[in-house]
Amino acid sequence: MQIRVRLIGAFRIERFKEEIREVASESRVQQIVDELQISNRILGIVLINGVHAGVEDILQDGDTLSLLPILGGG
Amino acid sequence: MKFLTTDPVAEASSVLYKRCTIDLRSGTTTLEDVPCRNLEDVLGGFGRSFQVLAERKVDNAYSAENPLIVNTGLLTGSSAMTGMRTYFSGYSPIKGSKKGLPSAMWSTGSGKFGAKFKWTGLDELIFENRSETPVYAVIRETAAGPQVELKPAEKLLGLSTHDKIMALQKEYADAHFAVIGQAGENWQNVYMGAVALSTENQLKSGEDKCRFAGRGGMGSLMGYKNIIALVAQSSDKLKSLSPAVKKVNINVVKGGGSTRLQPLSRGGGGGTWAAYDVLQAFHAVPLNNFRPQGNALPEKLCRENVEQDYEIKSEACFRCGITCHNNVYAKNADGSRGEFLAKFDYEPLNLLGSNLGIHDAGQAARLIQLGDNYGMDSISLGVTISYLLAYNERHPEKPLLNGAGFGDYEKIRELVIRAGEGELPEIGKGSMRLSQATGETSYAYHVKGLELPAYQPETNPGYAWAIAGGHMSMATYGLLTREGKSDLDSWVKGITQDKLHMVGFDMIGLCKFFDIANGIGTQMVVDCLKSEFELEITTDDIRAAVRRAFLRGLALELRQGYSKEEFALPAEVYEHPNANIQLPQIATPEFLDELQRRVWAVFEPELEDLSL
Ligand code: SF4
Repeated sequence: MQIRVRLIGAFRIERFKEEIREVASESRVQQIVDELQISNRILGIVLINGVHAGVEDILQDGDTLSLLPILGGG
Repeated sequence: MKFLTTDPVAEASSVLYKRCTIDLRSGTTTLEDVPCRNLEDVLGGFGRSFQVLAERKVDNAYSAENPLIVNTGLLTGSSAMTGMRTYFSGYSPIKGSKKGLPSAMWSTGSGKFGAKFKWTGLDELIFENRSETPVYAVIRETAAGPQVELKPAEKLLGLSTHDKIMALQKEYADAHFAVIGQAGENWQNVYMGAVALSTENQLKSGEDKCRFAGRGGMGSLMGYKNIIALVAQSSDKLKSLSPAVKKVNINVVKGGGSTRLQPLSRGGGGGTWAAYDVLQAFHAVPLNNFRPQGNALPEKLCRENVEQDYEIKSEACFRCGITCHNNVYAKNADGSRGEFLAKFDYEPLNLLGSNLGIHDAGQAARLIQLGDNYGMDSISLGVTISYLLAYNERHPEKPLLNGAGFGDYEKIRELVIRAGEGELPEIGKGSMRLSQATGETSYAYHVKGLELPAYQPETNPGYAWAIAGGHMSMATYGLLTREGKSDLDSWVKGITQDKLHMVGFDMIGLCKFFDIANGIGTQMVVDCLKSEFELEITTDDIRAAVRRAFLRGLALELRQGYSKEEFALPAEVYEHPNANIQLPQIATPEFLDELQRRVWAVFEPELEDLSL
């Protein structure tokens, strides 16, 4: 199946802003995070189709997955 | 501190702290070892100072009854990473109830002043009354213990924060400094004066890289008292690192709690500046006085765009491995690093940048630098100016002051300079007073008289219960955005249980970035206290003390005349909901009313049990 992956902020460095990816059906968010070699320590927010989700959530064909760094005060 | 016990919970009075009280009117100085009343006293910071403030009845921040309390936390100057905080407490000139009474307030900053202060042997310095002439205080370590001396400060008057520090450095070796700028000197017309704290990097490089205790106008209170600077002179007294503290420090840097603040080059999140990217994904970056437009304008100040034209260097406070500072330098024509411009933290960058309609990084940097040099709280300054710009936009026929509008850099720059010089009380006294004067209060972005940080209030109803800085004393600013919580149960729990614990850092002497997610009720803090002072203390003890201290702050607000209606967000938020913000709209009148009811139902019985 295909999903659209959007990366925000520092996650774009040496990766991409947005791309369509071919992934196995029933893939969990964590699999994409691992494939992209994003550290869970700075993974702050996961959105599936704009709605907050978790790394264990299962993706569906056509989903848009956004990965955002941690938000920290300042 | 003197520890005559290892059990500070059961035997708090067997822990004594060294306090110096200076009567500025008579010049008399009293040094004493004060027994602690409870664990809050032992931990220090606002946990202790608010108990002193609770003993006073203060109707006017600029009055003899209002003390200025300078203290540290238990772990300030210890070998625990980030242990560098100094606290300034008093009744605030800027934050106050509609009844006209000032609110108890504290403000804190890093830099090396706090550690030096602690190493002189002093834990707390209380300034009473007011000096007739400008003075600065020199706190020294001597063989007979700490000594405090007042000196004439006329020669420092009129200098910027940075220039005061550099002037004092020439006279005092092995010392660090806490100073006010011209804004604090002009306390009559500037209620948002900050205290600047010197850093090692600043003293070595000569560049204006102070840290600031900005919130609540403690620099203005210092100015009112005619104290222009503090000098803490002592040898460095860092203990050698014990295996336990070493393990904690490694965990602070590598364990995840501070990763988001660390440099990108180390796999970190790149400091607080990264909030720009995250919030922009929801169109929740404040723009033009907290009215995001759903466009890409804020992206101009995102790091990836700024670094095309400027050099960004990650730097740190003394001995801190988190390295959260993003210092921005001009780039020379040959690509080499040029002049230091400013440190880009999320709050000042946004509130003196996008939220004023300024989208040029160089211009935003100059405004940040100007505010810092004059010694003004960048949050109160930025938000008061953004209110003025919004007013002028609504009243083009009769604008206020110089008629500045959003994005009008030269005019905004003029406002900052004239406010810092004490020539514009309309700006200097903050957004609550300015909006009361215009009669248009709904779009003045303050809560309880203190300007909001750069997280949209639509996303953070918890601001209402923050007892000091909106995002520094209630960690709910990410509850909706980061955690996706939009239900009442989560918000009641967040405000009344989990998120209030962030104030613990403002007791113990550590930076919040030590472990921003978990607060100080953690095994890491327990291990540090055991290793540094042999104290037997549990995470539950610490959490109970933090909660009591928070509740004391809330009780003090109520005592200073705040009505429950003042625990509210700016009215524009619910009167004109902003559909551009792509997050669930929780800040509806119904949600806010129910939240009020349920939060007070938790806090009120506990407040009744708390004796002030
Ligand atoms: S976390 Fe940042 S502000 Fe805090 S001590 Fe370290 S470098 Fe300084």
